Amino acid sequence: MVLTTLLPAGLGAETLGVDYPLVLLGLFLSLLPLVASPLARQGVPALALAPPDRLSRLVAGSIRLAGMLAIAALVLALAGLHRRAQLVEREGQGAHVVLLLDRSSSMDNTFADRAPSGDVESKSLAAKRLLSEFVTRRPNDRIGVVAFSTSPMPVLPLTDHHGAVLAAIAAIDRPGLSFTDVGRGLALALASFGSDSDEASRAVVLVSDGAALIDRKVQEALRDEVARNPVHLYWLFLRSRGARGIFEAPPPGENTPQANPERHLHLFLQSLGVPYRAFEAGSPEAVGQAIAEIDRQETRPLRYIERVPRRDYAPALLGVAAMALALLLAAKAAERPLARRPQPLDSNEEPMRPRRLAA
Amino acid sequence: MSRRLSRRIGLDRRFGLLLAALAATCAALLAPRIERPRSARDLLLVVDITGSMNVRDYTVDGRPTSRLEVAKRALRDLLAALPCSSRVGLAVFTERRSFLLFEPAEVCGNFAPLDAELAALDWRMAWEGDSYIARGAQSGWELAQAVRADLVFLTDGHEAPPAPAAGLPPFERSGPPVHGLLVGVGGPEPAPIPKFDEDGRETGFYAEADVPQENRSGPPPADAESRPGYNPRNAPWGAEAASGTEHLSALREEHLRALAAQLGLGYARLESPDNLAGAVLAATEPRPVRALVETYPLPAALALLALVLAHLMPLGRRAARRSHPSSPPVTSQGNARP
Repeated sequence: MVLTTLLPAGLGAETLGVDYPLVLLGLFLSLLPLVASPLARQGVPALALAPPDRLSRLVAGSIRLAGMLAIAALVLALAGLHRRAQLVEREGQGAHVVLLLDRSSSMDNTFADRAPSGDVESKSLAAKRLLSEFVTRRPNDRIGVVAFSTSPMPVLPLTDHHGAVLAAIAAIDRPGLSFTDVGRGLALALASFGSDSDEASRAVVLVSDGAALIDRKVQEALRDEVARNPVHLYWLFLRSRGARGIFEAPPPGENTPQANPERHLHLFLQSLGVPYRAFEAGSPEAVGQAIAEIDRQETRPLRYIERVPRRDYAPALLGVAAMALALLLAAKAAERPLARRPQPLDSNEEPMRPRRLAA
Repeated sequence: MSRRLSRRIGLDRRFGLLLAALAATCAALLAPRIERPRSARDLLLVVDITGSMNVRDYTVDGRPTSRLEVAKRALRDLLAALPCSSRVGLAVFTERRSFLLFEPAEVCGNFAPLDAELAALDWRMAWEGDSYIARGAQSGWELAQAVRADLVFLTDGHEAPPAPAAGLPPFERSGPPVHGLLVGVGGPEPAPIPKFDEDGRETGFYAEADVPQENRSGPPPADAESRPGYNPRNAPWGAEAASGTEHLSALREEHLRALAAQLGLGYARLESPDNLAGAVLAATEPRPVRALVETYPLPAALALLALVLAHLMPLGRRAARRSHPSSPPVTSQGNARP
């Protein structure tokens, strides 16, 4: 009966699991103590010699119970009873972040716009190192990754499995493609929040070393999307030597989107009407500072999912089995024959309905 | 005397069995975890997402299904079939390059995002319409070598523009070897290729005039001289426009076999979504990893056996005596009855 209440939905069938369900058939063995006993059966000539008393019944019952418990516990341990890994919702600090990463081939050059050599790292390598640190520092965030170059590519949906996120960030210093289509990349980044209706702070971190014209249709689509699902925007502009800055207005006559796409992307993002910050980083150190600033900004209360790992019940079950066995063994050791007679009694021979006596 | 004493305090066989059960249970409690080798895989999956992969020449659940869709299903099954500690990275191929989306990551801990990403693969991620498959597979090989993984490259072998008559572009394998599998996706019958407009809406199928039917770069093929209007200087490929079936797509198995041989990979055809995992596990190099294995089941099973025997013993002995009346006499008087 212990078994029947313990196994099915009583404890929540979805939280308990077994590794080898077929072994559970062995639970039928736990009915064995109801019909057999390791104790010697002793016959008494007359039932009246051993009148039923409550103590004996109690003791006999508990011995039976101990036997059933020991068998059931061993079977459950062998079947690998465990509590499944669970997801528990907790409150913490963090955000839902989509990393929008530039995979154009110019990212493979250094900040001085040369091929990387010696101890000078490329922009993509610096971004990779610093973004990995960023992700590691923020264990509660849900992070998604979108790559863009000639076309936008969803790399990872919003996830709290940071191993996959780190693997996606590790891929950004592999050779990239030719163009920088920021507009469609942004659209995909916004779309990857999808139906995420959480109250958590949502942020898009754009990491790129350049920009391109955004098609008018795409601009309108972006405005629509941002108005519907407001996000925080961060642009980490990896400025190569010689590239125009995004903050200073260029001399009149050169102030066209064609001549100065970065500056105009900055103006466009400012005009979206959502919290937006741009960081211009001309060196790996500046990138580090900018990422630290984003890290500081994006700490709002967040409900996040924590994984509670699987817990094996085998040790506990074996402990229970050991205690029940110890009880049985004690009962067995305390067993005495009823009659003290010179003739050897055969303890196994038992003819009439016996009353088993313990101790 | 000892027998009597032992019987008096219950030191019979069943006592021994119970003692053994307790000892085995205690041993199970203390049993250590031992390290056992397990063979994980490190894989780089490269998926062809060019236009010809949209051809619907598979039938899944009674519905025509595109090659890309079947490839994705097969890869998701593969992901689920890999043992824990295996690592899987993903790249997509179009144009002439394999483009890495993420480096190999452990499959069990990151299953959900990896699976979601495989499901999200789409031809719209392609950055160009060309499909130089031989070059793409070669760059996939180099990529796999760089991330130290084995290569699984899924493609239909349909080169666009058509492969030059000269055959495969040269490729020299150097450095550590890459094992793996080139997987042919698609059916043997030429099938029409869906065509999409600028906004990604399907608008019909490619027609003969929509695609180049012959690759006219490099030296002309050997049979060029017999073509009508051939002129070595002015019309080295003949004077007529090329015609052919390049607007239809079938699985090019000879081409893929040759490519697999050049890259030192195995070749397998994807017959249905569920026959990929076995082929991949057979063609890739197992990486031994140490997995901790519990040892308690053995003593626990012994304990269970001893405990059950301790309960069955009385019945067993009675039954035995009944069938062998001559077996050792247990003289019983008084309280024994036939």
